[in-house]
Amino acid sequence: MEFLAFSIIALISVASAFGTILVKNPIHVMVWFLVFILGVSASFFALQADLLAGLQLVIYAVAIVVFYVLVITTIPWEKIKMFDGFYKKEFFTAIPAFLLIIGSVFYLVFKSKLSTMRVSLPKDNVSALGGALFTKYIVPFELASFILLIAMIGAIIFGKEKANG
Amino acid sequence: MNDIIFYAIVIAVKILVVLGVTLGLGAYLTWYERKFAGHLQVRRGPTVVGPFGLLQPLADGIKLMTKAPILPRGIDTTLYYLAIMMALIPAVMLFAVVPFGPSFKFMGHEIKPIVADLNIAILYVFAMGSMAAYGTLFAGWASNSKYAFIGSLRKAALIVSYEVVLGFAALSVILLAGSMNVFDIVNAQIRSGIWYIVYQPVSFILFLFCMLAESGRVPFDIQEAEAELVTGYNVEYGGMKFGIFPLAEWYLNTLGLCVIASVLYLGGWSGPHIFGSFSGYIWLLAKSFGLLFFVIWVHWTLPRYQAKDVVEFAWKYLLPISIVNLVFTAFLVYFKV
Repeated sequence: MEFLAFSIIALISVASAFGTILVKNPIHVMVWFLVFILGVSASFFALQADLLAGLQLVIYAVAIVVFYVLVITTIPWEKIKMFDGFYKKEFFTAIPAFLLIIGSVFYLVFKSKLSTMRVSLPKDNVSALGGALFTKYIVPFELASFILLIAMIGAIIFGKEKANG
Repeated sequence: MNDIIFYAIVIAVKILVVLGVTLGLGAYLTWYERKFAGHLQVRRGPTVVGPFGLLQPLADGIKLMTKAPILPRGIDTTLYYLAIMMALIPAVMLFAVVPFGPSFKFMGHEIKPIVADLNIAILYVFAMGSMAAYGTLFAGWASNSKYAFIGSLRKAALIVSYEVVLGFAALSVILLAGSMNVFDIVNAQIRSGIWYIVYQPVSFILFLFCMLAESGRVPFDIQEAEAELVTGYNVEYGGMKFGIFPLAEWYLNTLGLCVIASVLYLGGWSGPHIFGSFSGYIWLLAKSFGLLFFVIWVHWTLPRYQAKDVVEFAWKYLLPISIVNLVFTAFLVYFKV
């Protein structure tokens, strides 16, 4: 039952990921991307990682993609000259890279034994993750937030420069 | 095996009941609001169709559905239709994490009257609340109309900003309860005997502000002012295609946030057992409808904020207040005052 649910969700995610790279209309790309993000969140739910799923929903599906959509919808696409043809050189160089990645992933999946160790899930996902973040991984966690803060300040400074000049 | 079938049936029944109740109630809230607004303005509201105008929602539905389907020129047809669903589905999904009452025993199994008892129910509420922004954004863009598009951008900006405040306001309640699970939050209030509105009045008021803003109610609805701007982002929609937007936003979203607010601040289903085994459900409904009454009352009483003030108000006043409130609560919880 769980396997069935997970495979349906995984299929939807993979299909929407292909949709994201194959569709030409930029707004439709955002819709496919949104489906992909929701699929990832649903697979977290299926794996009982509730907090990750919720954060995926709140941070990616809502905050980040909304701003992508806000920016992309305001661009006057009909005035922009878009390349209508087919990227021949890029396509043919992509094929070997794609095959290499697929081959190595399949090799890993079939050669290595998947871990069958039963890991006992923490009863409360939220407090377990919070405890880990603020005790064992406090330095990387704080570093990451510091880097994000610097990026935010940088973005504000760039924006101000544009507005003044 | 029997257990699996039993739980599958239970979940199917829960989903059907929640869908039926919310969509039916959503339709009848239009009657409630019109009647209420009428009496507020010394009119009588709908009276013609059925006793007390009770069949008015049905008449409205038939009218909307039999209208000629008009599609504007140059629209993105797929997104035009998809946007309707993007507006409706998050509003309905919000009810997946609404606990309608205490858990009870049925045929030897413990059953909770909630569709999905998530550990992160409150996070899920925030997510579904802001997912409504997509319906708005894509509806505005797909309509191929500058008018609808500007309205949708304004509304999406508003939803995103008030969502941040909503999150910080509700976080202080989560801190007090020590959990994001709705059952744990209500049980914590029942155990301590005090509703969180007593501990967190500031957060409750912030939550009310955000509730009004998120569901496009007065005083935060300048971007879809019906009288002046003919509701902005959905101006190119007609018939039932239009009808879905107010249904999702004004009724389902408002109702869902009202129930969540009564769970967070008003003790959920707690109350004296005067209605027998149904008292929990009746108390929760009474509290939610009390809040809904307040929302509609405000809607038909107050004037609107100006467009430039609405978002600024969220970022410059509400957010700092909510952060100060959160830090203060965290100190109190940490030192166990």
